[in-house]
Amino acid sequence: MNNQDSLVRMVNISKNFGTVQALKNVDFDVGYQEVMGLVGDNGAGKSTLIKILTGVFPPDTGEIYFEGKKVEIRSPKEARDLGIETVYQDLALIPLMSISRNFFLGREPVVRIGPFRFMDKRKMDATVRQVLSEIGINVRSPEEPVAILSGGERQSVAIGRALHFGAKLLILDEPTSALSVRETHKVLDFILEAKNRGLSIIFITHNIYHVYSVADRFTILEHGRKVATFKKTEVSAEDIIEIIRSGYKEGKCQR
Amino acid sequence: MTEERRAAGRVKSPPRFLHEIVAWLRQHPEFGAFAGLLLVFTGFSLTATRFLTGDSLAGILTVAAELGIVSAGITFLMISGEFDLSVGSVLGVAAMIFALAARAGWPLFLGWILALFASASIGFLNGLITVRAGIPSFITTLGTMMFWRGILLAVTGGFPVSYFPAITPTMFLILNGRFAGQFRASALWFLGIILLLNIILVRTRYGNAVYATGGNRDAARVLGVATDQVKIINFVISALLAGLAGCIQFARFLSVDPMRGLGLELEAIAAAVIGGTLLTGGAGNLIGTLFGVLLVGMVRSGLVQAGAPAYWYQAFVGVIVVVAVVVNTSLRRWALK
Repeated sequence: MNNQDSLVRMVNISKNFGTVQALKNVDFDVGYQEVMGLVGDNGAGKSTLIKILTGVFPPDTGEIYFEGKKVEIRSPKEARDLGIETVYQDLALIPLMSISRNFFLGREPVVRIGPFRFMDKRKMDATVRQVLSEIGINVRSPEEPVAILSGGERQSVAIGRALHFGAKLLILDEPTSALSVRETHKVLDFILEAKNRGLSIIFITHNIYHVYSVADRFTILEHGRKVATFKKTEVSAEDIIEIIRSGYKEGKCQR
Repeated sequence: MTEERRAAGRVKSPPRFLHEIVAWLRQHPEFGAFAGLLLVFTGFSLTATRFLTGDSLAGILTVAAELGIVSAGITFLMISGEFDLSVGSVLGVAAMIFALAARAGWPLFLGWILALFASASIGFLNGLITVRAGIPSFITTLGTMMFWRGILLAVTGGFPVSYFPAITPTMFLILNGRFAGQFRASALWFLGIILLLNIILVRTRYGNAVYATGGNRDAARVLGVATDQVKIINFVISALLAGLAGCIQFARFLSVDPMRGLGLELEAIAAAVIGGTLLTGGAGNLIGTLFGVLLVGMVRSGLVQAGAPAYWYQAFVGVIVVVAVVVNTSLRRWALK
């Protein structure tokens, strides 16, 4: 596969923390309008890989290509500017702040009055009201604190925010882990909706069944190494669980 | 659906106006302090005969303003998730620098700028240590509180420094001159600062960053907020305003002793939390602090006017702090349910 075929391509990524090798020579790519499931047990290196991609820390070795061009992502803001939006499980939104302040955090529209710049609250509230009605969340006002939303609603707002700001790649870190069955389905539907709108998605999770229902491909990590990448047609959910549980054995799951 | 059923359904869901009230409370943490202020105001109006006069109000404002300028800075810093226990010492240092510069024959304006610059530098140091070392600001500023107080005592040898010019200089009039009877310029400084900081907090992108930094530092950081920078700036604001309050107070007393501002930090934090600012950061506003400071000021003047010995003041404020935070917390929990 050459660089033009994938939205993001990480080549030969390694990262050490002191004496711990968190990632070793990992290759990873996500195609255009593709949902990639990133799975593996705790400590497999999923978070480390994603944090490198989102500019939280740099890799020790390796290269990242985004839309075919080599990039260096030095901060979360730079990742965002490229069009990489991350929805962290616990860090998606700030509970005590209003929905509309959360939605625009770091990217607030402003109006100039003389030398001063003020947040354009009217525009913020109007936008958020519209996005919320699209998602199907019913709140009295965008000025309500996020704390009154349910877990699924919060994930949806965060995903809606990524869509609104024209993200190209959406990274979801355990988006369904704390949700009820009904809310999980809402969020999974919303992930497919995002894909239909042209986004690529990396879905990190422990719940293989959740990711299996929406992903096109899966990458399995184990102890900082990439075990394999499968297309959905090549494996069943049970196969993936078995690989994670007992380690990957060549030949058992033939490509 | 029958008429009966519909009526039953209506009874089950709480009335709409209650929803509106709850939602309003969620967005107005300062309500508790306002209610308390009204209560105390009414109480003193009934018990202290001279409470409802212009002079009395001016007296309250004079006490409240100097505390309030400090508390405004503390509030801003607390919303971003940090503390500043050194404001009392900074107030003393700034007043002392202002006084010594005046005695040395410097132009007052220059002495004032020097005092503010020194205060801001102390704040910057507080912020830098806290952020770089990653330690609680409670500890950092506990240390700097003691350090600067010690320096003050060492430099002055424990003696007060005074400056009594023959004619009151313009600089002193600007800082704390009288107008409209017993009112003082400090009240205008206080209200102006509250207004300015609240506009920054509520209406600007920086304010949004302040709330986010205190609400959840890690979340704010991954969303691209420069949280360390926000904290350092707020430490500077807090110390700068403490320094300003020191200069304003000096312009009133024309004298400063090395124990000036002792214990002020706790009073300033008390006023902020009475006004609904969360000790843990992420919530609060300056309007709440305005009410909190006025409440504290009113209790101080009101008790004296009602004939109670001045010692009761501290006991009373202590009760108010606890009651206010209990009320604020339950209101918040109830509104977020």
